[in-house]
Amino acid sequence: MEAILGLFREAVAEENGHKLAQAITPVAPPDDAGRLYAFHRALNVHNIQADLRNEIIYKNSVRLARTETNAWIEVFTCYWRAIGELLAVDGAMNQGKRVDWKKVYEAWKELLNALQRGYTSNQFEAWTIPCLYTSGKYLRNFALKADEQARSVEGNVTYNQGLQDDVVSTLGKNENLQDAARQINRIFGLCLSDRSALEESRKWGVYYVTNLLFKIYFKLNSISLCKNLLRSIAVSSSDMPPLDAFPKAHQVTFNYYSGVLFFLEEDYKKAENFLNEAWSSCHKDARKNRELILTYLIPCRFVTSHKLPSPALLALYPRLECLFGTMVRSIKRADLAGFDAALSAGEPEFVKRRIYLTLERGRDIVLRNLLRKVFLVGGFDPLKEGQTEADAVRRTRIPVAEFAAAMRLSLGQNNGEVLDDDEVECMIANMIYKGSMKGYISRERRMVVLSKGASAFPGTSL
Amino acid sequence: MSAQNAADAKTSETNNTPSKEQQKPTATLEEDDEFEDFPAEDWAEEDTELPSGNQHLWEESWDDDETNDDFSKQLKEELKKVDANKRS
Repeated sequence: MEAILGLFREAVAEENGHKLAQAITPVAPPDDAGRLYAFHRALNVHNIQADLRNEIIYKNSVRLARTETNAWIEVFTCYWRAIGELLAVDGAMNQGKRVDWKKVYEAWKELLNALQRGYTSNQFEAWTIPCLYTSGKYLRNFALKADEQARSVEGNVTYNQGLQDDVVSTLGKNENLQDAARQINRIFGLCLSDRSALEESRKWGVYYVTNLLFKIYFKLNSISLCKNLLRSIAVSSSDMPPLDAFPKAHQVTFNYYSGVLFFLEEDYKKAENFLNEAWSSCHKDARKNRELILTYLIPCRFVTSHKLPSPALLALYPRLECLFGTMVRSIKRADLAGFDAALSAGEPEFVKRRIYLTLERGRDIVLRNLLRKVFLVGGFDPLKEGQTEADAVRRTRIPVAEFAAAMRLSLGQNNGEVLDDDEVECMIANMIYKGSMKGYISRERRMVVLSKGASAFPGTSL
Repeated sequence: MSAQNAADAKTSETNNTPSKEQQKPTATLEEDDEFEDFPAEDWAEEDTELPSGNQHLWEESWDDDETNDDFSKQLKEELKKVDANKRS
């Protein structure tokens, strides 16, 4: 008990929010594995109020107001109960008995609610908000555990009893996680709506809580709810501190999720900005997170700027090399067959990560590169009289048949499958429409007339 | 791998509605695909630099103006045939 309430008194004396949060964590520190057990054993239902009062008031060098003391007693009482449920689960697991995560979840929810009451009645100052982070974070974890358990039970039900499918499928499907989302959403409101001066405002908790909700909503596939959060933040942006004033962990996570959100809405420009921000502030050792940022930034750049990750970048992340390597090399080689094969080989993985449709658009870059190769190979117009090498102009009138031959070659079509010239014209027209190539098609002559000067393929050196 | 595929790819680009629908994620990401909590809450600017530096991580999608790679050589051959056909 001393370990936990001693920590509490120290934290209060120092006004150290993170230390305070450690006093209500459900995970014992590695150097004191028995901490939770000792705390739980030191108190019992009959004496808990008196004992906590003693610890929080009489042993404390800082005098807290009576109402604040009561609020903390409430918090630690809830904490004690939740730890009791957690230890029961631990014990049951050790003995191979059935565990009940739902009880842990419910007890932990009480803790979160006790904290929330402390804030709404203005007992707790803003420096204590890391307590909300810890309680929110574990509420989500316990909800996931409880749902997982509900699903496994539900699985048994389908086997054992003749319940109708639709009855079964409505049972226990992320029920706890949805409930957790509602609880944490209240915390979001609690932070966002604080009108105190910025130095002592709970507004500093907004991004942490938002990130927690993003994680939950992504899991629940409630993308629209994520947008609601962004809207709420935007509305109060005038009296919020700027994002870059927040700790980097909050910034990077927020930028990552916002980026993915815009990515899923196919707003690639915005997505790229957010993901870039996330990438450039991400901690260098956070490998997994960097990998995740790139998983969306790479397809995003295909679309926004036709840029590809360099071999050096992919070499840093073997998983990404595996995911994108072949595809990137096909794009550079203007290899349509290779690109199509890479896209279909990676399809299950791409779909799972929700990047398939974006990657598919990379085919345009292959095509652009291919058409450009035809232009390059076409060489220069013969010099006219009086012209020197320096005046040489690239051949800008190219028969459609040449592009068609290039496409067939790139598609590896030698098995009788033939792309007809109309389709080729259609693809060329599309490239012109999208601005990847400048020029027009002369249908009578079956020629493509490309723009002269260094602008036939905008963005490239030609 | 046929032109049909290419045509399909095009319709999915020009027409946003079906692609949005398809993009509605059906499978939730697995736990191990989740953005992780950082061990620290804040860090210094120098901790964001990769050892290799943040330069040269991106490149253009075209190689250069090289026309001597295998594909370009093949392409030249192929285009000669096209030319020959036209003349004949």
